[in-house]
Amino acid sequence: MEWKPDWGLRGRMVLTMFLLFALYIVFIGILSQYMGLFGVVVVMGLFSLGQFFFSDRLALYSMGASAVEEDEYPKLHATVGRLSQQADLPKPTVAVADTRVPNAFATGRSPKNSTVCVTQGLLQTLDEDELEGVLAHELAHIKNRDVMVMTIASFLSTIAFLIVRWGWLFGGGRNRQGGGGMIVAILVSLVVWIVSFVLIRTLSRYREYSADRGGAAITGNPSALASALLTISGRMDRVPKEDLREQSEMNAFFVIPIKSDFVGRIFSTHPPTEKRVERLREMAGEMER
Amino acid sequence: MGLFDSIRSVFGLSAEADATREADPEDLFGMSTAYVTMEADLEFVPVGAAALCFSSVDSTDFAAAVDEVETILHVGEEDTGTTFGRHEDDHGYHWVVLEDSDPEDLVTSVHFAADTFVEEGFGSRLLAAVFGFERPRDGARAYWIYSFRRGAYYPFAPTGRHERDNRLEFKLQSVLDGELDVDGDESYWYPLWPDGADGHPWE
Repeated sequence: MEWKPDWGLRGRMVLTMFLLFALYIVFIGILSQYMGLFGVVVVMGLFSLGQFFFSDRLALYSMGASAVEEDEYPKLHATVGRLSQQADLPKPTVAVADTRVPNAFATGRSPKNSTVCVTQGLLQTLDEDELEGVLAHELAHIKNRDVMVMTIASFLSTIAFLIVRWGWLFGGGRNRQGGGGMIVAILVSLVVWIVSFVLIRTLSRYREYSADRGGAAITGNPSALASALLTISGRMDRVPKEDLREQSEMNAFFVIPIKSDFVGRIFSTHPPTEKRVERLREMAGEMER
Repeated sequence: MGLFDSIRSVFGLSAEADATREADPEDLFGMSTAYVTMEADLEFVPVGAAALCFSSVDSTDFAAAVDEVETILHVGEEDTGTTFGRHEDDHGYHWVVLEDSDPEDLVTSVHFAADTFVEEGFGSRLLAAVFGFERPRDGARAYWIYSFRRGAYYPFAPTGRHERDNRLEFKLQSVLDGELDVDGDESYWYPLWPDGADGHPWE
């Protein structure tokens, strides 16, 4: 089973990561001129570390999801087990969330410590092949260590945001008399925050494409994932609105984010479904050649 | 996990690369002597069947590759007397089930079938080779599963529909380790539950 590696996607991902990295270097450079950076970094480091270690439990908790045993969902467990075997991953914890919104997400800081969660809505909506496609997409996220990569990518962005928000409190450092230094630091942080926000969202979209490709490689069936994406996005529009708003902050984790009218495409964590489906269809086509 | 693996996952390539990685049938032949130890030291006799589990691909080439494997096994049937059957299980996975009272012939046929998949370019779809054993004294079942993804064996001893006898599995590991290349990381000892109450995983 062969298809062309997507060099365009790889190139854009490397470029995005490079830009983010460069931006952060400049940020640290400028920041260290104006304020006692050390304390901020230590405090934020601890905060991020905590977030990193508890993100999985947090995500499951906020979704009202709980881990399920093998005898409760034997079929789901068997599917996850075999897909993990194909992906060369230890079998993750399987969780089910009791909501009608059809969706799935994966969390966990490392392949040995991860959870795949599906909603009841997903189990009811998709057929077997489609469900396999979605699960494989989530396993690809685990395999690609997306939680870790995105946590690291967002780390300094979070610091920038906190300086913008609370910077006036940290008036200290060497330039106590002229509060000007702090104002510069806050302005720089604002710029860094905005630019890194866009870059992180871009990176997130590229990683969705990568997970689509990885998922298709695991199942050997790109069309099934494509049809699952279409089924889910079609169903999403018909799900009651309250439910949607309740879960909108979980978007970054979902296989398909909940639609939102006011957030532009540049700020979305996922590529548009049509584009993902189109790319998956190309892969399906290449397999026949 | 090596540095190269880390870089690959940072660039989001791990899933694609590992799922399409070629099979590693290198250590499959370990089973051809291991069955002697299974009987001598553990009272487990071969059940006279082994099976190859693979996941399908949604492509015409793949269907052709499966046909090729069937043809080759059909030819082999005359030489070794190993009979084979094919079926799809409840989870949508495909099995080539081989039956022969001579365990060595079983290993050869499994290897032959696996090789054909690799040659046809679908080695990455091979999931596992399963060799079945039974203890006549109490009817306990145990399996040695060869993972083509990991290139190593692991024991699997189902006791019910979703229970496994971990003590027996660790015993199998400790006795056969060295003779077989046993996967030291138990988190990769995936179960392959039989569909029926007391069937084999491939039934």
